[in-house]
Amino acid sequence: MTTALTEERAAGAPAPTPPAKRPRTRRVSRPSETRGAWTLMAPYVVLLMIGGIIPVGYAVKTSLERSPTPLDPTTGFGGVDSFKTVFTDYRFLDTFTNVFATLVVWLPIMMLGIVGLALLIHASPGRFGSTMRFVYYIPGALAGIANFVLWVYLLNPAQSPIEGFWNALGIETIKQAVATPGHLPFILTAMMFFQGVGSWIIVVNGGLNGISEETLEAASLDGANAWQLAWHVKLPIIKPWIGYAALMNLAYGFQLFLEPQLLDQVSSNALPDQWTPTQLGYAFAFSNYNFPAAAAMSLILLVITLVIGLLIVFRSGLFGEEEH
Amino acid sequence: MKSPGARLGKKRAAGAVSLLAALSLLAACGGGDGDGGGASAADSQTDSGGAITVWVDPPRVPAAEAFEKAHPDIDITINQIDGTVGGKSLQQQFAQFNQAGKGWPDAIFFPSNDDIAWASGAQIDYAADLTELLPDVIEGYDEAVIAPCAIDGEIRCLRNDAAPDVFWYNAKFFEQNGYEVPTTWEEYGDLAVQIAEEHPGKISGFTGDAYAPDRYLWASGCPTNARQSETEVVIDLDDPTCVRAKDLLTTMVEADAASPLGIFDADAASVGKDLVMSPGAAWWGDYLFRTTWKIPAGEMTAVEPLAWEGEDSPSTGNEGGGLWGVSSHIKGKQLENTLEFARFVATDPAWQVELSTGLPAYGPVQDAWAEKQAEAKYFADNDTTFEAMKAAISHVKPDHAYMLYNTGSVWTETIAPALVDGQPLDAAWSDFGTELLNQAKAMGYTVK
Repeated sequence: MTTALTEERAAGAPAPTPPAKRPRTRRVSRPSETRGAWTLMAPYVVLLMIGGIIPVGYAVKTSLERSPTPLDPTTGFGGVDSFKTVFTDYRFLDTFTNVFATLVVWLPIMMLGIVGLALLIHASPGRFGSTMRFVYYIPGALAGIANFVLWVYLLNPAQSPIEGFWNALGIETIKQAVATPGHLPFILTAMMFFQGVGSWIIVVNGGLNGISEETLEAASLDGANAWQLAWHVKLPIIKPWIGYAALMNLAYGFQLFLEPQLLDQVSSNALPDQWTPTQLGYAFAFSNYNFPAAAAMSLILLVITLVIGLLIVFRSGLFGEEEH
Repeated sequence: MKSPGARLGKKRAAGAVSLLAALSLLAACGGGDGDGGGASAADSQTDSGGAITVWVDPPRVPAAEAFEKAHPDIDITINQIDGTVGGKSLQQQFAQFNQAGKGWPDAIFFPSNDDIAWASGAQIDYAADLTELLPDVIEGYDEAVIAPCAIDGEIRCLRNDAAPDVFWYNAKFFEQNGYEVPTTWEEYGDLAVQIAEEHPGKISGFTGDAYAPDRYLWASGCPTNARQSETEVVIDLDDPTCVRAKDLLTTMVEADAASPLGIFDADAASVGKDLVMSPGAAWWGDYLFRTTWKIPAGEMTAVEPLAWEGEDSPSTGNEGGGLWGVSSHIKGKQLENTLEFARFVATDPAWQVELSTGLPAYGPVQDAWAEKQAEAKYFADNDTTFEAMKAAISHVKPDHAYMLYNTGSVWTETIAPALVDGQPLDAAWSDFGTELLNQAKAMGYTVK
């Protein structure tokens, strides 16, 4: 990393001629630095154990138990039965189809929105750019339920400021707006885009601000116009930030729960109770009282998101070190 | 091209994944005490020494407050809960109480009647058997009214209000237009179509709420909830009783004589003013027509339920009529006080006559309630309306239990979206049947 190399020079590391076969050496940390690193990491490791590792371990244990039933209330070791229950459940594939349908609509729009608007802001220096960055961020400040309440108003033709839009589509009631088959992925896309895009613009904009002036100037001197600058210079450099945004949004999309659950309530239960995989996991636990199946469902989700996450990490070089 | 640094990052990521897996297994081996069941921990009953906690939905808060006023000697905590019919949060809380072995309320008003299925089922087993605890109260109920609480020979709850469906119609509209009040379901369907043609916008029913299958399918005797035992049920939507109800609804939907909305929808209040007739619960009169939809006094009135052609007696369903439950996890003074509470809310005129808007389920106070309601002079024909409500109780079709799968929810998830989208009922009907079977099986029922 740049900082590490600068520190090396400052420390006056004697490196008159780097070895030909090893252009880059790993710096050996001093014991005091190691202690400092562990001190900094300790609170995170504790939280990771409490909020991540231990629950995952507990889920593994629970998923291997046998669920009591009215006919056989005994419990014990159940092997992989709970996984079989989940995989053969009639709702299992449907929930993933629903999430994929939403992701197919939402993720490209979200990524295009984040990158496009961040590039526009970066290309508009001065007061206008920073004002727009703030304007885009405002919806992100309407967290969770506040954002949802706002959307309940927008989705209800009887109250909505976009009543004309709904009427043009022939929609007169909130139940029609929300529960008409095929509408939900688009409504969720709108809700999640509105809430999330501003925060991610800030993140990606941070990446853009990290590009040195010299690089941009050199590209301009070589004759790059604004479009070429964005496409051939800025985008490759901020690839890790884009990868990070894609990773986190994908993870969020896979864990959709709150939005479909609450939209179901405002549409008088006209949406399926188990529309997403997390809702199905919830149903396993609290409708079927099958906690092993709920644990199995959550582990399946963990594996899927972990695999996708690692793929994105390696493809985007998200956690790779820069080469100098 | 990947840099050495990227390769290093890959190694670190792989190492992190391995660490995660190792720690997971470690935690799996060492974590938890392995009880797993949870319900077994609830076997020992507790006694607080008298103080009781009751959970009620918003409309039942006055009942609990009336008890507090009438019994200042009993220490009571009133907890208001989500009253959404078909809501799942209550079930979740009870599953967690059973896992923890504590936390149950001493008495509860179940927001959905289906709740009694899990509350009395082997896995949650919350609702106490009241057969021996409150025999005198149980004696005051008509057998048909207490039927939802009679589970495998035990009375596991007390009914708050009887909610049989009567036949409601707008007397003023009928008189102005010279229409005859139908006496059969078939006449009702024909008249609904005629009114929709002659008075576009006027409707004769709602099809989009969780009570709609009770209103039409239960009323026909359609086996959607024919419980055989705790694990066996009969569901047969091809039964002629189901088919005749479906045909009736299809006719009404095609003619725009029925609204695809439900009675509790946010938009129902404006549409409800155009309702000219419908089968509907006894509580529709005060709660829906007068309080919620604000239909003027002197218009709506009720007569006895309709009969199907070829059948001798009327045939109707039931919509709600809430259930009170008592905890099986308490004993001693705590149980004694909780039973006093249950007795009060089920039978005492201070709640059932003075405050409750639904026809009391407990027989001895029904006449007093009718007299009190008649003072408002809301219905076009008060005497006929209240007589019809009482008479309807005995016309509710039997063999319809509350189950772990919620027929109303299945209906609102399959039929309602199709109808608001303008699709025919026939297509949605098969989805309704498939989902009903799937949910019943997923809940562990053997479907016959």
